[in-house]
Amino acid sequence: MNSIYINSIKHISAQKPLSDEWFDEPVQNSENYVRATDPDFKQYFAPNTARRLGKILKRALLVSQAAMKNDDVSQPDAIITGTGLGCIENTELFLDKMVREGEELLNPTQFMQSTHNTVSSLVAIEAKCHNYNMTYSHKGISFECALQDAFLQMQSGKIQNALVGAHDEMTPAYFTLLKKVGYLGQSNQTFAGESAVAMMLSNRKAKNTFCKIDAIEKVYNGFGLPVKPAMTYTGIDFVMVGTNGVAENDNIYFENCVRLFPNVPLLQYKHIFGESYTAPAFGVYAAALCLKNGKIPGFLFAEKGADCKLASAKILCYNQFEGKNHTFILLSNV
Amino acid sequence: MENLILRLKEEIIEVLNLEDVKPADIDENAPLFGDGLGLDSIDALELIVLMEKNYGIKLKDPALGREIFKSVKVLSDYIAANRTK
Repeated sequence: MNSIYINSIKHISAQKPLSDEWFDEPVQNSENYVRATDPDFKQYFAPNTARRLGKILKRALLVSQAAMKNDDVSQPDAIITGTGLGCIENTELFLDKMVREGEELLNPTQFMQSTHNTVSSLVAIEAKCHNYNMTYSHKGISFECALQDAFLQMQSGKIQNALVGAHDEMTPAYFTLLKKVGYLGQSNQTFAGESAVAMMLSNRKAKNTFCKIDAIEKVYNGFGLPVKPAMTYTGIDFVMVGTNGVAENDNIYFENCVRLFPNVPLLQYKHIFGESYTAPAFGVYAAALCLKNGKIPGFLFAEKGADCKLASAKILCYNQFEGKNHTFILLSNV
Repeated sequence: MENLILRLKEEIIEVLNLEDVKPADIDENAPLFGDGLGLDSIDALELIVLMEKNYGIKLKDPALGREIFKSVKVLSDYIAANRTK
């Protein structure tokens, strides 16, 4: 089996864009809906390139190009994207016009950019990359599906590297809808955020390597039985969980972690990056940065603690969506 | 006619999202495609939608598009002669 490393990670989020500064000085957000902090895109894209791109596409393109450049890769063997909502902003505009204009005189640009796989294909077009290109849209486990695809192909030697992305935007209208159905914006819940995360995976260890991915597992548990991973996770130092302040969600993590990983300290990240369908990518990013820096900031502990230095460590990223889909990603330092 | 040219420039900027371009920056005699504004085939589709939506002109013959999209001036002349609203 080939070793698989995360060599580069870039993000645009509620924290400072394209930066790891949050690790030392996280931006605190008290609103229940926070859009990502965008960099000045004009610094990165020619006006003719940027004018047709919605926010999610500009963000995805920028973080993807930055992640590839950071690992000296221009055309990855695979571009794999996870997105829960796809290009929801353009989808809304397109559908709105469809309703208002009676399905006539629809703008081609919004139509073209209203599909989920626009993100992955745009990255490939700009990189002139004709290799494997895939998009996973599986609500709260979209990112893990993308990561697992890359992981399995690399493990079997089919590809040597992969660009894996997690991209979601949150429009005011969609936030309002999700608030009404109780998915976002609840009292005590971490803010609704947006995600643009790109990471370069490689079977080649580099000087910038964040960590190694040891295992990825998805478990479906639709019958209310205790979650039972197929793999045995031993020697885990921390579990990074997707707690978000909603008891119904958090209790699933607490109950399963007590049973599966007793006495292992829990870390969390959604209070820093917000909740979104592809937020679990931030959990992997946060864990990977901890392993790279050899330190866990106190504010990441579920039970607030002091900063903790790491020597050799394994962090398990555990995400669950609606109590049915459970994912486990085991990371270790290099 | 001057008013129509100005309005057309503003509409083109808006519908094609030409950031940082002002009506005065667009030479009404310069080519819209290739050189000049550097528009492409998707922009042509957007302009066809614009003409129908705002001026009631249905462009059925693609070959005609090559002629009337030569410049803002040519486009405004065509619109002035054929508009239904």
